[in-house]
Amino acid sequence: MPAPVPFDPQAVAAATPHKRNPREGVETHRVICSTCDIACSVVTEVKKDRVVRVRSSDNPIFRDNICMKGIIAPKAFAHPDRILHPLKRVGERGSGEWERVSWEEAMADIGQRLKSVIKEYGPEAWAVSTSQWNTCTDHGLGRRVMNHIGSPNWISGVALCAGNTAAINRMTYGWFPMGDFNNTKCIVLIGHNPRRHSWTPIFNFIRSAQARGAKLIVMDPRRSSNAEVADIWLPLKAGSDAAMLLGWLKVIIDEELYDRDFVAQWTTGFEALCARVNEYPLARVAELTGCAPEMIAKAARLYATAGPSIIPWTPITDMQRNSTSGIRLQSILRAICGYLDVPGGETLQGFHPDIVPESTIEMHEILSDEQKAKQLGSDTHPAFTYRGQHAFAEPMKRVWGHEYPNQITGCYMANPSATFRAMAGEGAYPVKAFFALGNNTVLSYANMPLIIKAMMNQDLIVVHEHFMTPTAQLADYVLPGDSWLERPWLTDSFGWMSSYRASEKSMEPPGEATSTFDFWKKLAGALDRPDIVPWSDLESFYDDRLRGTGMSFRKFARSTEMYFARPEFRKYLRTGFATPSGKVELKSSVLEALGFDPLPYFREDPPLDADYPLKLFTGVREDGYFQTAQRQVPDMRKRSPEPVMFVSPGTARAHGLLEDEWVEVENQTGKISVKVGVRDAMPDGLVRIPHGWWKPEMKQGAGHLSGALEYSDAQLCRDDEDYLDREQGIPHLKGVPCRIVKLATQPVPGPEAGGEVV
Amino acid sequence: MTPDARELRRRERSAKLTLWLAERASRNNSLLDRLCRKIIARATRIKPDQDFMRDPLIDNDTGFDPDELERYQRGE
Ligand code: SF4
Repeated sequence: MPAPVPFDPQAVAAATPHKRNPREGVETHRVICSTCDIACSVVTEVKKDRVVRVRSSDNPIFRDNICMKGIIAPKAFAHPDRILHPLKRVGERGSGEWERVSWEEAMADIGQRLKSVIKEYGPEAWAVSTSQWNTCTDHGLGRRVMNHIGSPNWISGVALCAGNTAAINRMTYGWFPMGDFNNTKCIVLIGHNPRRHSWTPIFNFIRSAQARGAKLIVMDPRRSSNAEVADIWLPLKAGSDAAMLLGWLKVIIDEELYDRDFVAQWTTGFEALCARVNEYPLARVAELTGCAPEMIAKAARLYATAGPSIIPWTPITDMQRNSTSGIRLQSILRAICGYLDVPGGETLQGFHPDIVPESTIEMHEILSDEQKAKQLGSDTHPAFTYRGQHAFAEPMKRVWGHEYPNQITGCYMANPSATFRAMAGEGAYPVKAFFALGNNTVLSYANMPLIIKAMMNQDLIVVHEHFMTPTAQLADYVLPGDSWLERPWLTDSFGWMSSYRASEKSMEPPGEATSTFDFWKKLAGALDRPDIVPWSDLESFYDDRLRGTGMSFRKFARSTEMYFARPEFRKYLRTGFATPSGKVELKSSVLEALGFDPLPYFREDPPLDADYPLKLFTGVREDGYFQTAQRQVPDMRKRSPEPVMFVSPGTARAHGLLEDEWVEVENQTGKISVKVGVRDAMPDGLVRIPHGWWKPEMKQGAGHLSGALEYSDAQLCRDDEDYLDREQGIPHLKGVPCRIVKLATQPVPGPEAGGEVV
Repeated sequence: MTPDARELRRRERSAKLTLWLAERASRNNSLLDRLCRKIIARATRIKPDQDFMRDPLIDNDTGFDPDELERYQRGE
């Protein structure tokens, strides 16, 4: 996620070369790791037509950006359980009975069955879920095919992780900015905890900035590794981000620490914002967040005066019942403190003028208004749907040259919970065909019992995957996906940045594994619409997109590691902002028109149910795993063999919990089994639940799902209205009521038990 | 606080120069490109005892043997 690199003119004089010795008999390729969502630029080393090593890039701007998941990739993708051929279900759904079929057979049948669903129920009865990692990006082709066929019901994990942030940021200033880590003077981490082996480049950026003297403010209920090295740590209550940021605004406005010229010239709604902020005096904020008023004020002052400061994207605020307000408050702070589109602040980059972005490939303009209006969830929770983003079409065209810029693929999505309800037969209309590409849907959204019910009610489920995930186990077809070692790629971080990087193909995919490009091309053909994907292969598709650079994809990939756009700061002086008013909307005209509170607010938790006296937060990753993946990789599993919940010593004492014992955590939605980990860094009363657990070695099929029913945090994630964000309808994962139940007997340890717990 | 306009323009010029250097360093073809890469390498170097990115797992990784990977994939 590169931003400008630090530059010290004095250091230039003493510059010396740094070169890595090439290894004999080894071919190297410049590649982008896609095992997680951070996309490190790395190098693969190939011997005997196989990638044998992944190491960090030779380019100093990417130096050391690689983690344990990256270096294990050659082995992880050579796993003997990898799906190498198309599989067709032959028994009942979830019976685990499969037969191997050819791609031709599979796609012909899928095409026929999808056409039948569309004929009977309409194109909106087809929904797709993708993650954009694992089997990786679908290049905008998924949306393109859906838009031509007529379905608006595309969902993704980005609905609660960065995609929604992009859509909500636009409500304030018409784009999703990227923090300039390399020139910033102060970084604010909100619950996010990048580490050496998790979100590695961000960890690198933060520590580099600190080494240059930048300040670090951390808001986190836990004493996280970043909190330990922060200048200020605010141990706020889980889920109280919006309240905390209202407190910051109160201090910054009262003490006139904001950029008065910018506010006067470039914002609307400042008076109304001040009135709202006055409802949150520090004493109230302290009560809501559990932090001392002096510390809140100190942090706010540091943010406003040490700048330019950045509040990097955080998945934590994305996953709360006050998510929209929390994200809006971050954007309002950036704006009124004068940090928008300045060096060291939050850059608004736009698209690269020479390269066709995925947003253009998606062709949202051809989906009719009638079909757009059917997008699931847009009636009740419209913020990131077509309806919620409709008012931006003209301003986006005016400022960014594109009517439908789909940043982080998150700006024109259906609502996941509404989609699962429709799939389960509980929606306004039925959804009867469901495709999951590189997405372990069953474990990736809230309310897992509903998702399973939805899956069992489908006429057709198609999964494109590496392994037999719990989601794949419920499919009609499981199709083998390639990996990032085995295909080329071209990325601008999903429209977040204006610079592009290319990834070279390092080896042939094993068996019959293919790219998502091939999948969508084959599907378009099977639907009798080969014209929708006219390119012959992925490289010619990229050649076409790169035409404006005067280079073919191969030449592009060989000639540069990063293709920058000409930098321009404070572009708004020339174009205005891409909002209906052309200004930064502190009071959002779009939210108001949609019938929501146009100003940020804090909705307090419902009264605590005495049966569920503790609060849990989930979504937490272990270093060796990304989301629900890598549990089958022995080297990673050894590090975290079992799901472990973390509690404070005080909570452990109060509930009689012992380190390493198995317990059940339950609430109104479901229950899971976890081991106990007592950690000093945890606050009392809070339970940390790891994300995405299943055990590939356990029994597959409906009723088992390889342990997902027993261990997945999605069993505990609620999606009732009290625990959904109002504007987006995304679930609250940070502070959900729960209880811990001790077991009468402890389970016998499995073969994987006994490793180191990260 | 409203930033000083001259100071802001100075920072913008410096950031643009940095990006120009990064762009050349990313190409690494011509002599000038290589010089830019050297400049960046030097400017971003961290003293070994303060290098927060050092990690034995990464630093000691030598990769895999292709035949071993082949056998692993076949389940041997
Ligand atoms: S942090 Fe690790 S897994 Fe993620 S992209 Fe970088 S090397 Fe790959």
